[in-house]
Amino acid sequence: MAGHPHYREAHPLIFVITHWINLICMVMLAFSGFYIHYPFFDGFMGVARGMHFVAMYVVIINLTFRIVAAFFVKTAQDLDSREVDLDIKNWLPQEKNRHQFWETVKYYLFLRKEGVISAKYGSLQKIAYLATIPLTYLQAYTGFAIYGPSMDLGFFRAGLDLVGGPMNMRVIHYLGMWVFILFTMVHAYLANIYNFAPSKLIFLWKETVPEGKH
Amino acid sequence: MAQEAHGALHDLLAVRGVTRRDFLKYCGSVAAMLGLSETMAPQIAAALEGAPKLMPALWLNGGSCTGCTESIAQVDTPDVATIVLDYLSFEYFETIMAAAGSWAEKNITKRAEEGGYILIYEGSVMTGQDGNTLFVGGGPENEGAKKGIEILEEAAKNAAAVIAVGSCAVDGGWIYGYPNASEATGVAAWLQHKGITTPVVSMPTCPVNPEWVVAMVVQLLLVADRDPAKFLQVTPMVKVPYTDAITGEKVTLLMPKAIYGQTIHDNCPRRGHFENGEFVTELGSKEEAMGYCLYKVGCKGPQTFTQCPVTRWNRRASWCVESGAPCIGCGGLNWVDNNSPFLKRMSDMRIGDTFVQPGTIGAAVGAVAAAGLVVHGIGMKAAGRIGDGPPMEEMKAYDRKRLAKKGGDK
Ligand code: HEM
Ligand code: HEM
Ligand code: SF4
Ligand code: SF4
Repeated sequence: MAGHPHYREAHPLIFVITHWINLICMVMLAFSGFYIHYPFFDGFMGVARGMHFVAMYVVIINLTFRIVAAFFVKTAQDLDSREVDLDIKNWLPQEKNRHQFWETVKYYLFLRKEGVISAKYGSLQKIAYLATIPLTYLQAYTGFAIYGPSMDLGFFRAGLDLVGGPMNMRVIHYLGMWVFILFTMVHAYLANIYNFAPSKLIFLWKETVPEGKH
Repeated sequence: MAQEAHGALHDLLAVRGVTRRDFLKYCGSVAAMLGLSETMAPQIAAALEGAPKLMPALWLNGGSCTGCTESIAQVDTPDVATIVLDYLSFEYFETIMAAAGSWAEKNITKRAEEGGYILIYEGSVMTGQDGNTLFVGGGPENEGAKKGIEILEEAAKNAAAVIAVGSCAVDGGWIYGYPNASEATGVAAWLQHKGITTPVVSMPTCPVNPEWVVAMVVQLLLVADRDPAKFLQVTPMVKVPYTDAITGEKVTLLMPKAIYGQTIHDNCPRRGHFENGEFVTELGSKEEAMGYCLYKVGCKGPQTFTQCPVTRWNRRASWCVESGAPCIGCGGLNWVDNNSPFLKRMSDMRIGDTFVQPGTIGAAVGAVAAAGLVVHGIGMKAAGRIGDGPPMEEMKAYDRKRLAKKGGDK
């Protein structure tokens, strides 16, 4: 059983790909980041740094592409519908999300029984997804501020002074990783808590249509 | 030809038993430090030898351990660095001058009136206790007594340039470290705060490396023809933006690029092992002797901008990392707070009066979140939401309430 239907219109192939790229980069960045933070086995520093430096460019390009594409690609207005509209509209808060924030919080705190009406994404979900944008760019900024070839630039020197020096910038970059880990934990949990239909769609691009629906 | 050392320098070298060959070799290393070709060594030697001698200078001590003076003056062998520094005529140098009492103090006042000198300042500017520190002439109750801060301001105002030597003079150094009871700060921020516009060259590390001071003296004598204004013009500087917490000043610290332009990590002889992923995990181990990288035992080389690996220390004998000790980042800004604990990769974060490692915070938050999700999952299961999800509302709660209200009004 899988509740409501999950149609491909919710996540067109291009966004399945961007999500894959993002996920792979994030895993590479977090793994190599942990290693750079404290090399827990020998013989890998060159590879870890190389991995980090490749993935950091890819993740930035991928995110920027994803944002631009939101203005051109159409996605489903509701998860259980094939009716589409420009993705950016479905990404930002919509009429259907109004007055639903506290109701959603109440729902997750078991203070109400019924699920809340939402658009393609609920209000909490939209906040979380939108927050990944500045977070990723911030991580890129703090990353380039501790990166040898770029740290001397005035743009980064100013930031280094603001936070009190390169060590503090490293601490912020490191704690930034934990923010991504927290996001991913909660995100993966909520995406899969009811059933695996959403994951089948975003990873394998497979529709799930319960009997009696089409 | 200029192959013969002559004049005052010749005598000095001869007296101290330094051969011409040693001297040229030394000039070569100074050239390298200044980013010049080592073939410039004879020219540097000639400039030093030919210098009509004596550029007036004052050396003042602020709140410090006098380690920078020690580092420069304490030598047990004939040393070229000290000889070159003899080219500065120190009219005041508290620790090593012969003059004392009001005579010595008059040297400052007189020189400050006449101008044409450089001021070398060692130590922090202690602004706490209303600046009632580093008194000369007894306590505040004595007439004619001067606060250390006043002496700095008086000497700096008319100087052609100030050289802030050692981290204390740059930003307050270790004295600035938490909780900074004496409200120490650096020379550049303090002078700007007082509206004194004399240019300040900042030369951190704790203590300052004497070779770097020599390099700057040579730069002043040779490249800048003893003209401090020209010196500032022709010496490439890194401009480091810095906000001082004590005065609230935003200053641009000028640091000679040849010395402070690259990180220790950029030039470290252990760097190959860093890239190979070969690390020292325990001080005193075999790996340390084999020259493996000290990253895991807290080396701050990647965040510290100095030429220590190139110039080295103690008359170019060795330096921290070469001798097997991790760099503790003494050439950085606010270096104690930013780099302690010295043997850990990251500095502690201070929350109130407790100190925690960032890794501990991350792991703790991660563990709490994981536990929270497990508990929440159990709740979701108990609420019967797993599988098809919850029954959906027909109408938003907000609209239901509004409708009910409207209904009531009617
Ligand atoms: C998005 C652009 C990013 C850039 C430009 C970037 C850049 C860097 C750089 C230059 C370093 C220092 C490497 C070294 O000194 O050898 C670093 C370290 C690190 N990065 Fe990133 N990074 C980015 C994203 C991320 C992300 C998304 C994560 C985590 C999910 C992450 C986690 C880490 C960690 C944990 C370290 C080690 C910090 C330390 O202990 O010093 N980075 N990064
Ligand atoms: C274990 C890893 C992950 C799983 C299982 C997962 C699963 C999913 C699923 C199922 C969706 C579709 C949501 C829906 O239709 O309701 C989704 C979307 C999304 N995920 Fe993930 N995800 C993972 C990792 C990540 C990471 C690391 C990030 C970013 C840091 C991320 C960011 C997003 C974003 C922004 C969306 C919206 C997709 C779009 O509109 O293009 N995900 N994810
Ligand atoms: S010992 Fe320090 S400066 Fe040298 S390579 Fe290792 S981390 Fe870098
Ligand atoms: S290697 Fe590091 S700790 Fe040693 S003198 Fe240089 S900056 Fe200071």
